[in-house]
Amino acid sequence: MAEATVHVVDDDESFLMAMSRLLRASGFDTRTYASAREFLAQRCRDEPGCVVVDLRMPDLGGLELQATLATTQYPLPVLFLTGHADTASTVRAMRGGAEDFLEKTAAKEVLLEAVRRALVRDRQDRDARSHRDELRARFAAISSREREVLDHVLRGRLNKQIAGDLGIHERTVKVHRKAIMTKLSVRSVAALAQLSQEAGLPSSA
Amino acid sequence: MSLVTVVWSMIAAACLTLAAVHLPVWWRNREARASLAFAIAAVSSAAIAYFELHMLKAQTPHEFAAALRWAHVPVVFLLLALAAFAYHYLDAGWRWLAIGGIALRLVSLVLNFTTGVNLNYLEITRLSSLPLLGEQVSVAEGVINPAMAVGQLGVVLLSVFFAAAAIKSWRQGRRAGAVFVGGSLTFFTGAALARGLPVYWHLVPPSPNMLSPLCLVIVAVMGYSLSADLLRANRLVVELSEREREAELAADAANLGTWTRDIVRDKLVASRKLRELFGFSATERLNAEQLVQRVHVDDRAAFRDRLSQAARRRGDYQSEFRLVLPDGPLRWIAAHGRVDFDARNRPLRSCGACIDITDRKEAEQEMLRLRQDIAHVGRVSVMGQISSALAHEINQPLGAILRNAEAAALFMQHESPDLHEITAILEDIRKDDQRASEVIDRIRALLRREEVAMTKLNVRSVLGDVATLLRPDAAARHVGLELKVPADLPAVRGDQVQVQQVLLNLILNGMDSLEGLVERPRAVTVTARRDGPASVEISVSDSGRGIDAGHVDRIFEPFFTTKAKGIGMGLSISRGIIEAHGGRLWAENNADVGATFRFTLPVAV
Repeated sequence: MAEATVHVVDDDESFLMAMSRLLRASGFDTRTYASAREFLAQRCRDEPGCVVVDLRMPDLGGLELQATLATTQYPLPVLFLTGHADTASTVRAMRGGAEDFLEKTAAKEVLLEAVRRALVRDRQDRDARSHRDELRARFAAISSREREVLDHVLRGRLNKQIAGDLGIHERTVKVHRKAIMTKLSVRSVAALAQLSQEAGLPSSA
Repeated sequence: MSLVTVVWSMIAAACLTLAAVHLPVWWRNREARASLAFAIAAVSSAAIAYFELHMLKAQTPHEFAAALRWAHVPVVFLLLALAAFAYHYLDAGWRWLAIGGIALRLVSLVLNFTTGVNLNYLEITRLSSLPLLGEQVSVAEGVINPAMAVGQLGVVLLSVFFAAAAIKSWRQGRRAGAVFVGGSLTFFTGAALARGLPVYWHLVPPSPNMLSPLCLVIVAVMGYSLSADLLRANRLVVELSEREREAELAADAANLGTWTRDIVRDKLVASRKLRELFGFSATERLNAEQLVQRVHVDDRAAFRDRLSQAARRRGDYQSEFRLVLPDGPLRWIAAHGRVDFDARNRPLRSCGACIDITDRKEAEQEMLRLRQDIAHVGRVSVMGQISSALAHEINQPLGAILRNAEAAALFMQHESPDLHEITAILEDIRKDDQRASEVIDRIRALLRREEVAMTKLNVRSVLGDVATLLRPDAAARHVGLELKVPADLPAVRGDQVQVQQVLLNLILNGMDSLEGLVERPRAVTVTARRDGPASVEISVSDSGRGIDAGHVDRIFEPFFTTKAKGIGMGLSISRGIIEAHGGRLWAENNADVGATFRFTLPVAV
């Protein structure tokens, strides 16, 4: 977490400076941006961190920043700040997908806690992403015929039924199953099912 | 005693008596120049009668010549007096005719003493006797002096002058005076010519000199006219006092207090109602200063200014002021007065009327107060609309202050705190604190409820302040707010808070009309430009939906609204404010998209 960076985006220069001072004093690495565009333009490496952004900014606001960031290769958790959280803007922000939503005058503890939470979430997201990538790489190794067999296995079909469905010999089915288990390094069908789910495969079409 | 002597002496006596009557009239009233002219004419006539009597009674040609010579002196005076009388009494034109005639008579007077034995004769050869009133009188025979023509020409010019004066007077409608005075003057000079010219041209033999009876006739006519004027003046005095009573009645009925002031003697005549208005008793003697002392101290200087202005320049003056009565409340008075001047342009007297306008003034002030209340309510409601944006605006610096203070506290816990950093933080805190109080000041200025204060306003800074207030709201609503103010725009006259209120209202309306618009840029543009020499036009233009054709005329009506949450007072209040500033506020749809609201304000002088 030492290399995690808190990106602060705000069009109010004074608040931007103050916010980054507080985060630095609290032990965070920070980087500041005067607008959402400036931040998006500089976001070209996948580094851990989170974004603290003003909800209301001319041109591109906080919610637009979050939406755009989500479509890039390197997403980050976003923490929204607003000058004044009136009902209308709160509803709008929540509807737009804001999770953490704080006033600029919120208590320091609440604010820092939210930043920490965002960084934790980033680490979790990052872990989940790398685990999934690794699994996907493993699944990528199995052939298309093996994939067909796997689909049937995951649906709980017996070897004989699978052979019938695919019009192949029951022994061939067994060979494919063994190859699949080896490539994915699992021993039981239950483990195979869990792994498939973690990899985000369509479990049963 | 001879009858001729008696008659001619009586003529002289009658003339002198009339002169004695009218000379004092002129003495007491120097403006009565006609009376002076008359007196001179009468004395001259008496002198003529005296010399003429000597001519009629002359025993030798030398005596006759001397009397005739001296008779020409009063003749010149008589003609001069007649011309002056016609000039003043008939208000005659063609003055150069009179001047020419008199000048010729003066030349002939010189010739009278330098050529021949007198103006009429180079030489009187002998005296003949002719009968007159039953006795023999002397008539001269001799060589006619050609210089006599100069004198005759002078009389011709005067005769034309009198005739012209009579005609002019007739045309102007003063027929009696024209016929009586103008006619007889013309007749007199005509008759003198009728006698003199044939003698000069040797057409008839000389006859006895008979100028004096003619003189008496003309003096009598003039005297009668003057007396008639005196009688008429007397009748006018009677009529005038009747009119005065009528005017007083009318003034009483209209609750008007009237006064007349003799400026020269500082005497003031005030009507009963005026005394009542100013709180004076019906009998005490008044002067102008006492009246001025009752005027409210704050209004006194302005009131005196008006009076002295009226005394310098001719014409009426009007003034509104408050009175402070010894035992009563304030009273508002409207006064209308006039200063009269004498012929030499010195203020002679002033007169005027006063009326109590306290009720009207109180109603006006009540209306002004109500209008201010409405404007204030409108402002409060506008501020309500943008209160969220304002809270946002003020929480920016407050948030920055908080974060900076927290950061500083954390930095201080370090073993060796970075003092440069801490100094920078403190400086930022100070700046943000100032920023926050500026926002509060702007809001407070708009919410304050003050008397309207018309001052010189810089359009650029007024628009700038409004834009600063609205920028956060505009940003939240994704509206581009643009100002276009030329550098050479003159200052306008207006109340800053109210003008800002109108701008806030129009810009917020513009932003409302952009709600839900996605197909084109959402923009509100505020433009100021000079509109003629005396006014500046400010327009607020949006790219929104525009105004429905049927609503263009109705949007300024109170309680008319097209918004779900509107109460329909904004534009009505705005128009009231602009009209109270002497400007106009109107709306029109743009040629392409959206609508434009324009208003004008007078250029400050």
